[in-house]
Amino acid sequence: METFQLTNIRKTFKNGEVEEEVLKGVNLSLRPGEITALTGASGSGKSTLLTIAAGLQETSEGEIRFKGKNLADVKEEKLRKVRAEEFGFIFQSSHLVPFLTVEEQLFMMLEVAGKKKEEDEVTAILNKVGLSHRRKAYPSSLSGGEKQRAAIARSVIHRPSVLFADEPTASLDSKKSEEVMQLLEDMTKELGMATLLVTHETEMLSFADRVVHMEDGKILA
Amino acid sequence: MNMALKEMKKNKTRFLIIGAVVFLISLLTFLLSGLANGLSEDNMASIRNLPEGNFHLTEDAEGSYTRSNLDEATVQSATGQNNYAFSVQMGGLEKSERKYSLAFFTSTSTSPFPQPDKGEVVLDSSVKEEGVSVGDTLTHPQTGEELEVTGFADNERFSHSPAAFVNQEEFSSMFRIEDFQVLYTENAKDISGLETFSKSEFLSSIPSYQAEQMTLSMILWFLVLISGMLFAIFFYMMNVQKTGMFGILKAIGVRTRRLFYMMWVQMLTITSLAVLLSGLAGQTAGVLLPEAMPYDLPVSTTLALAAVFLVVGFVGSTFSGLRIRQIKPLEAIQQGEG
Repeated sequence: METFQLTNIRKTFKNGEVEEEVLKGVNLSLRPGEITALTGASGSGKSTLLTIAAGLQETSEGEIRFKGKNLADVKEEKLRKVRAEEFGFIFQSSHLVPFLTVEEQLFMMLEVAGKKKEEDEVTAILNKVGLSHRRKAYPSSLSGGEKQRAAIARSVIHRPSVLFADEPTASLDSKKSEEVMQLLEDMTKELGMATLLVTHETEMLSFADRVVHMEDGKILA
Repeated sequence: MNMALKEMKKNKTRFLIIGAVVFLISLLTFLLSGLANGLSEDNMASIRNLPEGNFHLTEDAEGSYTRSNLDEATVQSATGQNNYAFSVQMGGLEKSERKYSLAFFTSTSTSPFPQPDKGEVVLDSSVKEEGVSVGDTLTHPQTGEELEVTGFADNERFSHSPAAFVNQEEFSSMFRIEDFQVLYTENAKDISGLETFSKSEFLSSIPSYQAEQMTLSMILWFLVLISGMLFAIFFYMMNVQKTGMFGILKAIGVRTRRLFYMMWVQMLTITSLAVLLSGLAGQTAGVLLPEAMPYDLPVSTTLALAAVFLVVGFVGSTFSGLRIRQIKPLEAIQQGEG
């Protein structure tokens, strides 16, 4: 069963008189419990596709079908609600809120998603990402790997349906990258999320259930 | 969880600096307001103490009480209960070698001013501190008339001098002015041959009062304006520094309204604490400053200025916060660490 369906996605940027088409009719489906990895050279359009799928920028043409709705036609406030309740985000940098402790980051996400602040839930996730001993720590005192694990915990605490991960291991060394990817894989399976992973690191592709290669704004067969 | 307070707790120094600046500016505003009000009291307390009503001067006086001479018939017909005439002249009295500069008042019997008998004088209580007591005899240097001090009145000053209330006969002899200068009526607006002024118009017509008050008011409101701009600049700079974080929060679904709420809570917390402290300091200054310094900061003025600061802070921070609305989550993500 498909959770998320992108159909004929096109994106054109205007730069003065010049129009540049960065996505040229992309079709992609994401399935629950699966990591779909998007790879490709820089400028192939993979990050643009992820941000369009996540509702962070508009598509020029095409459909983003999720739970019976076309997100391309949904207004900003509804889209924000979808992002808060149904989506999880992991970025290249951890982007943790600097003045919140690790556990407060998770409580904040639960609040944003309109869910109850369950202490047990937070403890369970922190145990899973191996940060239970750092729950009262501020981001400034965490290592790079710990920050990214905290970011993963924040992205899944509200049990989203879709997880968007944009180069989540780009700032980590290979050992920590593997730890983070293993964690992503475990979370995807355990929570039944449809995960869209953008990466240019071929070593990380082994964690994906499906690898999709992009080139020049198109998905290669 | 209150993110606004958590941020303040984590970044104490940054918010303490903003709070300190707001405290200093609001304290300066309170002190200046106290001084402006004090000077105003020092200048015109005897007029400001009178109830709101109508002040009439002769038309040929062209709005200056010093040139106004009311004829006796007008005074006779217009005065009565709550309607009265008075005159004021600057002069002095002596006691041994000591000279006292005073504003001499005389009035018809229905006025709220003290009504001493011939040969008596009632002085503003500030003269008491200069060594004058009830029963002392003071001499008018030009006429040589002797006046016995029969009492003191609180807060009666005019043109930065203590008021001296004397009998009309004495006043005429001292200043060679037979007629009253100003007619006060509670309700009568139109009296033939007289020009009518409200209390504030009458105060403004007195030389030096308006110039003094306008200068101080301008400084006062300029300070309020500066504080509003400071709020806008401080919060704008903070918001610029937090652009990345706000973008990420928006991306994960935090409402823009909540980010504004966060900024308002911080602004209100800082302003309330800073203005509370500066308000208390402003009130304390009233007790600590020397008597010679005219300073009067009523609680009502303090509260009104505090409210102005809150409104100005709110407007300033909201104006700067408009940037939050423009932040695109995507740009924040692409910029890297927020």
